[in-house]
Amino acid sequence: MMRLPAFDYRVPREVGEAVSLLAEYGEDAKVLAGGTDLLPSMKQGLFTPKVLVSLRGMAELRGIRDAEGGGLRVGAATTLRDVARDPRVLALYPALADACSTVATHIIQGTGTLGGNVLLDTRCTYYNQSAFWRTALGFCLKKGGDVCHVARTSPTCMATASADTVPALILMGANARLVGAAGERVVPVESLYTDDGRDWNTLRPGELLTEVLLPPPAPGSAILHRKMRRRQAIDYGFLLAAVRVDGDLAGGLTDARVVVSCVGPRPVVTPLGDLVAGRPLTAELAEEIAHAAARPAAPLTTHGVMPSYRKKMIRVTVRRALDTLRGEPSAAV
Amino acid sequence: MTDRPDAPSALGQRAGKIDGPPKVTGAAVFADDLRLPRMLIGKILRSPHAHARIARIDVSRARALPGVHAVITGEDLPERYGVIPVSQDETALKIGKVRMVGDEVAAVAAVDEDTALAALALIEVDYEPLPEILTVEDALTRSDVLIHEDAKNGNVTKRVFQRYGNVDEGFAEADVIVEDEYLYEASTHVPLETHCAVGHYTPDGKLTVWSSTQIPHYLHRYLARVLGIDAARVRVIKPEVGAGYGGKSDPFPLEFCAAELSRRTGRPVKIAYTREEVFYAHRGRHQFKMWLKMGVKKSGEITAIDYKCWLDGGAYSSFGVVTSYYAGVFMTLPYTLPRYRFEAIRVFTNKPPAGPKRGHGAIQPRFALELHIDKAAAALGIDPVDLRRRNCVEPGTETVNGLRITSVALKECLDAVTKASGYHEKRGRLGPNRGIGLAASTYMCGANHSIYASEGPHSTVQMKLDRSGQVAIFSGTADIGQGSVEMLGRIAAEVLGISTRDMRVVEGDTDLTPVDLGSYSSRVTFMAGNAVLQAARRCRDQLAGPVAAKLGCAPADLVFRDHRIWPGDHPEWKDDPAHSLSFRQGVEVAEAATGQGIGAMGSYRPPRIGSRFRQTSVGPSPAYSFTAQVAEVTVDPETGEISIDRIWAAHDCGKAINPQVVEGQVEGCVYMGVGEALLEEHVFRGALYQSPSILEYKIPTSLDTPPIEVLLVESHDPEGPFGAKEAGEGPQLSTVPAIANAVWDATGVWMNETPFLPERVLKALEAKRKAEAKGRTAAVAPAPRGSGSGT
Repeated sequence: MMRLPAFDYRVPREVGEAVSLLAEYGEDAKVLAGGTDLLPSMKQGLFTPKVLVSLRGMAELRGIRDAEGGGLRVGAATTLRDVARDPRVLALYPALADACSTVATHIIQGTGTLGGNVLLDTRCTYYNQSAFWRTALGFCLKKGGDVCHVARTSPTCMATASADTVPALILMGANARLVGAAGERVVPVESLYTDDGRDWNTLRPGELLTEVLLPPPAPGSAILHRKMRRRQAIDYGFLLAAVRVDGDLAGGLTDARVVVSCVGPRPVVTPLGDLVAGRPLTAELAEEIAHAAARPAAPLTTHGVMPSYRKKMIRVTVRRALDTLRGEPSAAV
Repeated sequence: MTDRPDAPSALGQRAGKIDGPPKVTGAAVFADDLRLPRMLIGKILRSPHAHARIARIDVSRARALPGVHAVITGEDLPERYGVIPVSQDETALKIGKVRMVGDEVAAVAAVDEDTALAALALIEVDYEPLPEILTVEDALTRSDVLIHEDAKNGNVTKRVFQRYGNVDEGFAEADVIVEDEYLYEASTHVPLETHCAVGHYTPDGKLTVWSSTQIPHYLHRYLARVLGIDAARVRVIKPEVGAGYGGKSDPFPLEFCAAELSRRTGRPVKIAYTREEVFYAHRGRHQFKMWLKMGVKKSGEITAIDYKCWLDGGAYSSFGVVTSYYAGVFMTLPYTLPRYRFEAIRVFTNKPPAGPKRGHGAIQPRFALELHIDKAAAALGIDPVDLRRRNCVEPGTETVNGLRITSVALKECLDAVTKASGYHEKRGRLGPNRGIGLAASTYMCGANHSIYASEGPHSTVQMKLDRSGQVAIFSGTADIGQGSVEMLGRIAAEVLGISTRDMRVVEGDTDLTPVDLGSYSSRVTFMAGNAVLQAARRCRDQLAGPVAAKLGCAPADLVFRDHRIWPGDHPEWKDDPAHSLSFRQGVEVAEAATGQGIGAMGSYRPPRIGSRFRQTSVGPSPAYSFTAQVAEVTVDPETGEISIDRIWAAHDCGKAINPQVVEGQVEGCVYMGVGEALLEEHVFRGALYQSPSILEYKIPTSLDTPPIEVLLVESHDPEGPFGAKEAGEGPQLSTVPAIANAVWDATGVWMNETPFLPERVLKALEAKRKAEAKGRTAAVAPAPRGSGSGT
């Protein structure tokens, strides 16, 4: 087994204390939620924090509460399993429950947290490797080097957004509560990500994600989540897609949006209101939506699966998700 | 006395393994569980270059680090080794040059793992990179770059060429010639337990090494040689091993380094590989490129096979010389073949060394041949099962290349598997994108020749009985999870008529247990099973005389069963203390009557099967197992994903000593075949292995594994122990081609290259659609001879 580098371990009892610790240690500190991604990455030498600030001691960060005015507030340290099994989540946000239950394995779902998933580091086949392996290849732009092995002329890192829950959260209009030494702010989950896989999130130094806020579902809207991966468990996706349509499927849609992930540093959001407005969700429209969703995605060799295949599968996956809404049996995947 | 009296027997009954409870409760002790007083931790420094000269190594800063007790480099262990005597091309730590990323350069022993790792970082190595050989083509053409500078044949490890009869005459007789190219991808074993060894050199000049090895005996010999210690003072102990599949069949650098570091420090030293290091240790399945040509008459009779293959061997020979023979010698089975020619070329490349993996060397050509059989059947309009039956080898025959065939129940396997699966009812009738496919295969039950030249027995078992009623079995076998301890116990229990609960099986300890060659080539049940059978019968004979005298009957009349001994013609006396004895009493009686302890050795040496041919020492086995499998699949035409709905596996294991364990082996084989068919691939970025982790190297999870229906077929081999043959490797050979043949039934495309990744399937489907569209617009093209359309 690989060794975990040495670190100090702090367990604050309240958010204020946690934020003070993060401010005190600055870049030397990392937040430890479930640890299912951070600890393996530390073993690979991707992070060597002096201090891990654990979220374990803060009851206020765990659990799912009803929000005023409808919707739910999910503590950032709530496990993916607790989210996936919550009756309110299952009733109101089935796509989120689906997404949580496709993460890795049951055991990891019981350890990993929603906050940890939302802030999952970007991934790349040239980055998520041991220190020895990266030494043998030459370090990359994201960690210790000056060249991107995926796109050698790229000034920015191409590591991909890979969090299973994020496409659905974006379509749900979820917000994130961020607390820092200077105060707190609430921002859309969609705004948390950037186009550079190295500096991939928009959190300010020392900020802590404390809650994911789920607004009440819009009447007449439906969201579906889909994941493609090589095997049926213990696998990151090579493609994530979530689809939302609003309005009357047979009479006429009012809006539609698609989020595709695992294709670049941030989830690719495609608004399709103009395309769908007033049209019923026919097979032809489903095909058009699928093409439109695939157009802006430019998968690269960040994964073991061929980029051209992943691009092609965006169309298939999105169309099949829409077919499911239409009640078509072909949508097996 | 008979081994199988009328009284009920435990042999052939489903039962939990003797050694099961400690394993499932966590009480079993594996190498990494060992904690010896004053034990140091060792670590190995590895090369980040694929091919480079080592210009300078400076270990002085590492040695100076507090807590470091020893640092060694190549010159400290210069003796060459290699599991096969004709290809001694490894040293524990590399001298002068490195040949792959991950090659071992130096080793340290320190008070703890962190200190050892810190010491590795302080070792300075200057490398001068050399051109890299990464493909078979480069290996054969770049004569200016030699991976092993003193090799006899450049970058060719081994070329095997064999010819039996005139294949051209065979092709002239044929009505259909099927010719095609195939690629079988490399893969690795992924045992749950990573390799681990503890070396302990003690002041009496003796060395003990505990190691997660499949081959305690060969390791014993190589430790003695590389360390320069007389073999009489070297002891190898195999603790519980968390699987091997062939990946622990070589001696490995960690074993030599732990031993040498212990000798230098006077303290025990443990080295455990990380998962990444296991990927570099590798010894996995060779990538095979194959060209195959087969002639078949309208009647279905196969007239000739001509076959060439190229093996990507990686940086060292490992078992590669043997692989090069296995690559061809089993193609003459299970279909009778009148003429055969084959050529195998294994080359060195600057990649982790390939070696033996479950179904060693035979998996890849079997894939090609079983697709070929279905292609021939399609071309001739013959049912694929009929074509196989038509050519099925018969018991008591000899193959064209001189293999002696004893028991064969392949036709029974074909019957069982087609009936259970509904193959004939379903084939071509499952609807679009669904299909069913079948394949058959054969495998050896151990090699007739040991790895080094020896006339000695291949297996010896020592058995001790005493007045406690316990039976102790001492065997040099290596149970790596496959169930050899269970096999030894159950055979002895059958002969002595006692429960396996009263047995102690001591195995894999070269000080305590007689020599057994180890767990490879599916030899253990056949060879160690025969040895324990002989030992048990000899012990029973030692009891029978005194017990018969006591009971007033002839020794031959006695029955041993249910811990009782009684005259067999009086079943009613079984539990009558006046006319029968308990097993324990029987031992007491024998001890008293003879004034001797009770015990015996049993041994097995394969029959000396003469061959008419030269170059045929690799391939002959005392018996062969046979398998037929059917896979039912659904192919998603839009994603190219294959889902395997079910696999039926019929296996001729001779006799299932414990059917539960045999079924487990068959299921394990099918599981591993599913991984090789659908998921596992060896991808390199240049010379760097792309996915040295079990997150990114995709072995199937339970969710990726189809339901498996195991059908055991018993042919009762005349020379196997109670008729038993192997079950640990053979069943894997049919799985991948059965899936490929099912994909053809589903889609009409031949997947000639493994693994059948969705993108490859999709590409093949698109190519077929395009060809069909073209065919519709173009004039009618002549039908190709055969049906060898590649993908």
